[in-house]
This record gives sequence, structure tokens and C-alpha cells, in this order.
Amino acid sequence: MTTTTVMTKPRRAGFGGIRRGEAASGWLFTAPVLIILGVFLVIPVIMALWVSFSDWGGRGSPFSSDVHFVGLRNYSTILDGGGLAESDFGTALKNNVWYVIFVVPLQTALALALALLVNRTLLRGRGFFRTAYYFPSVTSSVAITVLWLFLFSTTGTVNQVLAWMGIKGPNWFNEPSGLIQNGLAVVGIHDGPAFLTRNSFLGVSFWDWLRGPSVAMFAFIVMAVFTTSGTFMLLFIAALQNLSPDIDEAAMMDGAGAWKRFWRVTLPQLRPTLFTVLTLGLIGCWQVFDQIYTGTQGNPAKTTLTPAYLSYQSAFQNQAWGQGAAIAFILFVIIVLFTLLQRWVLREKKVSRRRQLAYSPETAARAESKRAAQATGGGSR
Amino acid sequence: MTVGRVLLYAALIAIAAIYIYPFLIQVVTSFKTDPDAASNAASLLPQTWTTAAYQKLFLTSDFPLWFKNSAIVTIFVTVGRVFFDSLAGYALARLHFRGRGAIFAGLVAVMSVPLVVLLIPKFLVINTLGIYDSYTGMILPLLVDAAGVFIMKNFFESIPVSVEEQARIDGAGTFRVFWSVVLPMATPALITIVILSFQGSWNELSHFIISTQSPQLTTLTKGVASLASGQLSQGTQYPLKLAAAAVMTIPVAVMFFIFQRRIMNSSEGAVKE
Amino acid sequence: MQRRTRWLASGALAVTTALALSACGSGFSSGSSTSGSLTSSNKALTVMIGSSGDAETAAVKSAVASWSKSSGTGAKVIAANNLDQQLAQGFAAKKPADVFYLSTGSLAGYASNGSLLAYGDQLKNKSDFYPSLVKNFTYDGKLYCAPKDFSTLQLIVNNDDWRAAGLTAADYPKTWDQLDAVAKKLGTGGRTGLVVSGQYERLGAFMVQAGGNLMNDSSTKATADSSANVKALDFAKKMLNDGAMKFAADVGAGWGGEAFGKNLGAMTIEGNWISGAMQSDYPNVKYTVVPLPEGAAGKGTLQFTNCWGIAADSPNQKAALDLVQKLTSKDDQLAFAKAFGVMPSIRSAASEWKKLYPQFTPFLDAASYAKGVPTVKGASDVIADLDSKLGQLGSSDPTTILDATQKNLEALLK
Repeated sequence: MTTTTVMTKPRRAGFGGIRRGEAASGWLFTAPVLIILGVFLVIPVIMALWVSFSDWGGRGSPFSSDVHFVGLRNYSTILDGGGLAESDFGTALKNNVWYVIFVVPLQTALALALALLVNRTLLRGRGFFRTAYYFPSVTSSVAITVLWLFLFSTTGTVNQVLAWMGIKGPNWFNEPSGLIQNGLAVVGIHDGPAFLTRNSFLGVSFWDWLRGPSVAMFAFIVMAVFTTSGTFMLLFIAALQNLSPDIDEAAMMDGAGAWKRFWRVTLPQLRPTLFTVLTLGLIGCWQVFDQIYTGTQGNPAKTTLTPAYLSYQSAFQNQAWGQGAAIAFILFVIIVLFTLLQRWVLREKKVSRRRQLAYSPETAARAESKRAAQATGGGSR
Repeated sequence: MTVGRVLLYAALIAIAAIYIYPFLIQVVTSFKTDPDAASNAASLLPQTWTTAAYQKLFLTSDFPLWFKNSAIVTIFVTVGRVFFDSLAGYALARLHFRGRGAIFAGLVAVMSVPLVVLLIPKFLVINTLGIYDSYTGMILPLLVDAAGVFIMKNFFESIPVSVEEQARIDGAGTFRVFWSVVLPMATPALITIVILSFQGSWNELSHFIISTQSPQLTTLTKGVASLASGQLSQGTQYPLKLAAAAVMTIPVAVMFFIFQRRIMNSSEGAVKE
Repeated sequence: MQRRTRWLASGALAVTTALALSACGSGFSSGSSTSGSLTSSNKALTVMIGSSGDAETAAVKSAVASWSKSSGTGAKVIAANNLDQQLAQGFAAKKPADVFYLSTGSLAGYASNGSLLAYGDQLKNKSDFYPSLVKNFTYDGKLYCAPKDFSTLQLIVNNDDWRAAGLTAADYPKTWDQLDAVAKKLGTGGRTGLVVSGQYERLGAFMVQAGGNLMNDSSTKATADSSANVKALDFAKKMLNDGAMKFAADVGAGWGGEAFGKNLGAMTIEGNWISGAMQSDYPNVKYTVVPLPEGAAGKGTLQFTNCWGIAADSPNQKAALDLVQKLTSKDDQLAFAKAFGVMPSIRSAASEWKKLYPQFTPFLDAASYAKGVPTVKGASDVIADLDSKLGQLGSSDPTTILDATQKNLEALLK
């Protein structure tokens, strides 16, 4: 306590006496947040870590004496067990990787395109267009999934519109074939070369890894892009409005065309925002749960199974709590890696430490909580 | 008008149509009959208008109960977050005390914990505390959020200290300064918190899956999700499901339109640093 | 400064955690379950069911209420949104429902972790249950729970389509070839001859007819890669590729019954639950239930059943057992049959049931030859995996599919 006065030495003279009660108030004011986050976030993480190393079978407390430490057994079952648990995890990982590969670039590109379109100074109805593009982001993932199940049903809206164009649409949410697989089938390739079909990673053959997202997953990909592009569009609009027009004008004087100006002038200036959007997308896309729970439960043929849903399913449906927790932790590591990547990339900016500390978490906080709140394609809550 | 501008508007309007059309379909289909919905899925005009879906939803299903539960949770969570987040945000921004840096660092760390990872353990904790399957278990864990604390902290750092100092010199205690001097000035940030918490808790699904089991505590998200996966009904019943989805979207939509300007600007603020 | 902050952060974290964990500790050490005798208290019972709809919920509620009235013990029925998940949460919380529906697939998991009370031997009517059902709920040599009711698969035929194709009662298929032939005859334009859900829980009937199944009757040996099973899937694949048969998902239906009701298929393979769905959703479709054709090993079909589980952690097992005894009585089972189309699990109710539902006798007749689905722990996962592959049976190799299933089942037995 004696050091308090040293650490909190008031910057301005004359407040020494008034600041005396601040330590108590400070802890008191932050106590509710600390307790709730501690109990419902920090402790759960530690408990889950224990469960992932234990043989807890789902009855009573995981800390009771008849629950044993089993080392890495749950992890090795998932990563190297050679059984169903491994191939399920491999399948879920494969599905999610394809989801990320499609969603992240598409949503980023679309958000940027929308922002560029809407961000014209002389545009009439700017407010209307922004509102229209942003609205899908506020709806809940459950409501939007219900809508999607209808739009993409066999006789649904999408297929009827396709029929007007003379295209017979697929049975979206029941179609497990992969996009790349279908593309290859068109040119007559049905089976992969032996070195691809023979060798496997995580119980899934290389050939299966390369099939691409299933048609069903593609419907979810479209949904994610639809619901997240609005949020990211706002981030891009804000960044665009912050750009100094001078450079652009100078470039215009030099006779650079619009396309060239975008690539040479605008885009480099948008780099920080672009990285934020990309990493937020990367983080969010690994947490796909609501849509799967509501819509397909991993079907058809496990092609919409995601690690997040598999973790839930293993624990709550199949009593494999240790494996479920282990999957959750592997997912945790994946997401933390992307978070660190984001922090690292933003650190490149030449900002003072102080400002940067205030900057990056807040940007992330807002955008993340917005994403989360809107329960978009990526967020699970 | 140049050709370029015509093309620009055409593109903007076409994209807007793609973004709005699904929601129109949603509302219109909820007034269709089951066969009509199945055979004319793209039509914006029902063959015969019927409110059968809504009658079933409100008169013979648990939908009103789900709505009530969602409303209860949302109100408590929103009020709680506004209060606790701003309280902690204020302390982190203004009060000088030992451990502040540690708390801040802890919050940064906590924010990077992905929530889906917590499904299993959060259930275990809720269960251990004996608040499983109760409103307490549904509300308490959502009552604060690290992101909200950050938003408030940053806001408080952006407003001048002079007013508070005057109040302090006049002898007001810390809480009093916070409550009657600082908080009223924080309306813009508080609205942001209200919007985010309202949407967050209204749209929350996974937390309610793991924290409750009794039908009396089913929320809209959980109820509609079970409708969608056909656990409660047979057949497709699209009008019913879409009516449920449409009704559950109304509160957030209303919220959105009331605070539209604020929502659009808040994210601009976020990047302006 | 930076290092100090970090140290403080981790220190605070550790302290909070330690405090919280020790605080939680007190809640963990609550009493262990009694062994041998049944627990008894005046606590009300909770009955959790996975209901197929309002009719089932209402029927169970009324049966439980009448028991509650006569026994003086309170009881409430909860219709779960997601039975598996809610049961799991209850067991983990040590606050499970006292009595609940339990599927064959979940039995082994819960029995092995001690969640269930093995009360089978204390049932007064134990010998009245069909032996095959008793086998389904026997784990480690003990009958864990009383079979609630059961269902079997048979062939459902659309009467109008049948007549329109110029077929008569004499043409009901007796062999696989005949099935294939009538299916081809019945398929016209937008309608397929036979539409089934593309999963083991339907196609498995062919395996049984060929003399196979995924595991032996006591689920102690994996037999998925048997030649009989390969023959069954080869036949199904041939029908798929001929267009004589299609999977429900491929015609845009959620299950065989929906496809049948919408007349996307003239025949389907479903269980006796189809009667309720036809009555409520497609009352105008006239249909006949006929036995499935015979394969190389004669008659064969799959049976499905649930039992009334009682929780090991229930504080009032005595009352729970009493309730189950009543719910499996002849009167109650016949009332359930009337309400939602299930078949009684006891032999003594058979003749009355057949009198009530002469048109559905093929379902009940199958009790003597139907085989159950694997019940070994983890089997439901393996079957889910198999189902996900059977969806593409038309373009895949049955042997490969079955070999993978064999491997997965063998892994469960280790």
C-alpha cells in the first residue's frame, strides 16, 4: 500500500489529498467485471483444460476422486487415433478451412467494394444504401439461418430464380459434393491420382481435403458473406473518410486512372483497416456454431461439421467430454494464433506504445463485439 | 448525369435489392399457405393471404413465452452492462490505483478467448454454482463484457478532466462524481453499449443452450432453432418458421432504425482511433 | 514496469482461480449413490421425454398424472428440445431427470459411467417383454431398463399408384427382384417407385434379409464387412442407379414419409410411426403396409426401441420404478399406441393391439424376426458416419463403405 502514492503520483499539483480513496474505489468499481469475467471466463478455461486431460465421463464433478489424469490421451485420439474421432476432427477442420478460404477474401472484397461505391461525396441516398447493406448484420444468426434454409431449399427462392434463367439448382443443404470435385467432374475427372487418395492427413485423404466446400457449406458461405459484409463495409467507410484527399488529387493531376489510383494510392493507405478486417474475419470464421446447430447439424455427409460444433456434439451428445474439451482447446490455439497475428501486424505501425495499446484493443473490441453481437457468419454469440 | 453515374446507381440499386429481397421474402412467405410457400418461393405476392402461421405461433405454441424470456434476459443484461461496464471503464480511465495495469492487461487477454471454446466449461461452472437452469444462470455470465469496458474506458479518456476535478474540489465522493457528473456526459458511449448489449443478448444462442434445459426458460433463439431443426414439428412448415424468424428480428430492427445514425458513426469512431 | 504488470496479471489470475476453485470445491463432494437398495424420498419425480409431437406429450402427461394421483407422489413431464443434450447436462449436474426416454444408442454410454440404475431384474413383468428388446437394453449382462415400446420397418405402398400401375394384392413383392420390378413399374415422370431415407436405419433391413447386420445380436462382434451386407448394399445401389429407388433427400423430402405423403415416391420403407404422420399431414393418401420382401436369409427387418431409464442419482428410485411399472403395463401401452402409433413392448398386449390395428399387423409380426441396431458404446457415432456415406451410395463402393464401418466398430470393442 505504501507504494500506492508513488505509483499514482498525481500529474497535477493539488490533488494529493483528494486521490486518497481511489485505490479502494478503483477495485470496487472494477470488482463486478473482474468477478464475473473471472468466474465465467477464466475458471471455465482452466476447468476445460483439466477436462481435456482427464477421463471424466460426464457424471458429477470433473474434480471428484474417481476422475483420472490421462495425459495427452484425448488429444492423441483426436489427432492420431486412427479412428472415427480423428477422421471426424479432420473432416471438421477440412470443412472449416474451406469455409475460411472462401469467406474471408469474399467478405473483405465485397465490404471494400461496397464501401468504395457508397463513399462518394456526391451520392444521393447514401444513407439508404448504407442501411440496406448493413441491415443483414443486425439480425440473429438463428433467424438468418431459418431464412436461408427456406431460400436454399429444393423448391426454394434461389432455385426458382435459377429456374427462370434455365438453370436447375442443386438441393443445396442436402448436397454433399464438393465444389472443386464438381468442377473436376465436369472436365471428366472423377477419381484422384493414387498418391492423393492413398495418403491422408487426420484420417481424411488428401483427395478429400481437396474436394472444396460442399454445396451445402457453400450456402453457409454465401450467408456469412451476406451478413458480415455490412459490418466490415462500415469499417472501410470510416477508414476511407480518414484518408487525406491530397494524395489522391496529386495522383489525379499526374493523370493516373481510377483503377490505378485505387491500387497505388487508396489501397496502401487502407492497409491497417484491411488487416483488421482480414484477421477479424479469420478469427470469427473459426467459431461457426449457431448456423450449424440451427441448420444442418453437420449434415449432409458431415460436410458442414465444424470443430466448434463437433466439440459441442462430442461432449453434450456423445459423452466424450474429454475429447470435446480437447477439440475446443485445439480450436482455442488456432484462434489465439490468428489473434496474435493480428496484434503483430498492427504493431508494425509506427505509433507510440501508449497510443497503440489504446488503439488496437479498442478497434478490435468494437469490431469484435459488433460482430459478435450481430452474430454474423463468424461470431457465435 | 453521365453514363458512369447511371451505372453506379444501377449497381447500387441492384445490390440493395439483393440485400433486401430475402427479408421481403421472409415477411411475405410468413403470410402464405404451406403449399404456396413451397411452390412459389420467389413470389412476393401470396396467392391467398393467411395469418395462420402467426395464429399458430402466438396462440398455440410457446412462442410468447420464448419472447418473454428473451425480453427479460435482454433487459437485465443491457442494464447490467451499461452500469458495470461504465463503472469499470471509468475506474480504468480515471482512477489511479495499484493493479490497474494488471486489470487492463487481464481484460485484453480475456477478450481473445473465443466463446465457442467455453461451451463445455461454462456449463460446468454454472452447474457447480447451482444456477443451472435459472434466470440467474442465463443472465449473470452475460452481465459484463470486456469489449464494453474498453469502449467506456476510451470514451472517458477522451473527455476533459476539468469538470470532475471541480466536483472533487467541491467535496463529492468518487462514486458521486461518476454517477452525477461523468455518466451524464457519456450518453453517446452508453448508447453504443446499449445497442451492442441489446443485440448481443437478444441474438445469443449458445449460452442459453448450455445454461438451461426447462421449456419454461427457452429463449427465442433456442426455441426458433429447435423449430428450424424440426425437433418440435414434422414437415417443412416454412411460413411458420419464417414468421417466427421475422418476429424475432423486429426488436433488433427497431433498435437499429432508432439508433441508425449512431451505429453508423460509432464504427467510424472506432477506426479514427 | 511492463514486466511488473505482466507478473501482477498472472498473479491475480492465479489467486482468483485458487479462491474460486476452493470455493467451488464444497459443492463437489455431495453424497455418493446408494448401491443395492433403491432410494426413496417424498421428492416429486421429473420425467423427461423426447416427444414426436403434441399427441405423444399429452398422452405421457396424462398417464403420469394419473399415476401421480393414485400414488400421491408428485410428477412432472418435460418434453425435451434435445433429449441427448439435456440428459447429458442433467447427469453432469448430478441432477438428472428421474425417469426418461433412453435410446438403444445411448444406453452403453450412460450405463458405463454409472449414470443409470439397472433395475431390470426388479420389474414384475420382466418376462413379458419381447426377448429381442430385452437384449437391446442389456449391458454387461444386466437388464438396465424396461423397453418402452418398439417399432419395426416394413414396406408402405400407395394404393392409388399401385392400382394405376395395374398391380394387385398378388403383386406385393416377396423377393428383391420383385421389389425392383414393381418399383420400376411404379416410377413415372416426377414420381419414383421407391423413396427411402438414405441411411442404415432403413437400408439395414436389406442387410438383415441377406443374413447380415452391422454387429451380432449382443453387439459384441462387428460384422459390418460380411458378404451378406455387401450383397444388400449392392442391391440398393443397383436400384439407385436404375432409378427404381431414390433417397428422400434427393427428391427434396426430409424423410421417406414426407416423400411418400407428397407422392414423390409410390413406396417407402418406414416404421409404424408413419401412421401418425400420414393421419395429420397427408390424410388423403391411402396406403397399405406390407411385409418387406425376403432376401437370401428369409424375412428380415430392423427394430427400434426406447426404454424408460431411471437415474442412479434419482432421490426417489422406488417411486420411479413404480411409475415405470405402470407406464409399461398393458393399459398404458395400448393408450400410447392409440395416441401416437407405437407398438407395445410386452407380448401380452399383442393380440389386442392387432385387433385395434389390423392394417398394421405386419409391423408387429416382425417382432419375431427383426434385428436391433448396434448398442455398443459409440455405435451411434459409427452409424452416423455410415449414414453420411450411404447418402452417396449410388456413386460409391459398398465394400469400401462397409470396411470403414467394420474398422470403426472394431475400434469400439477394444
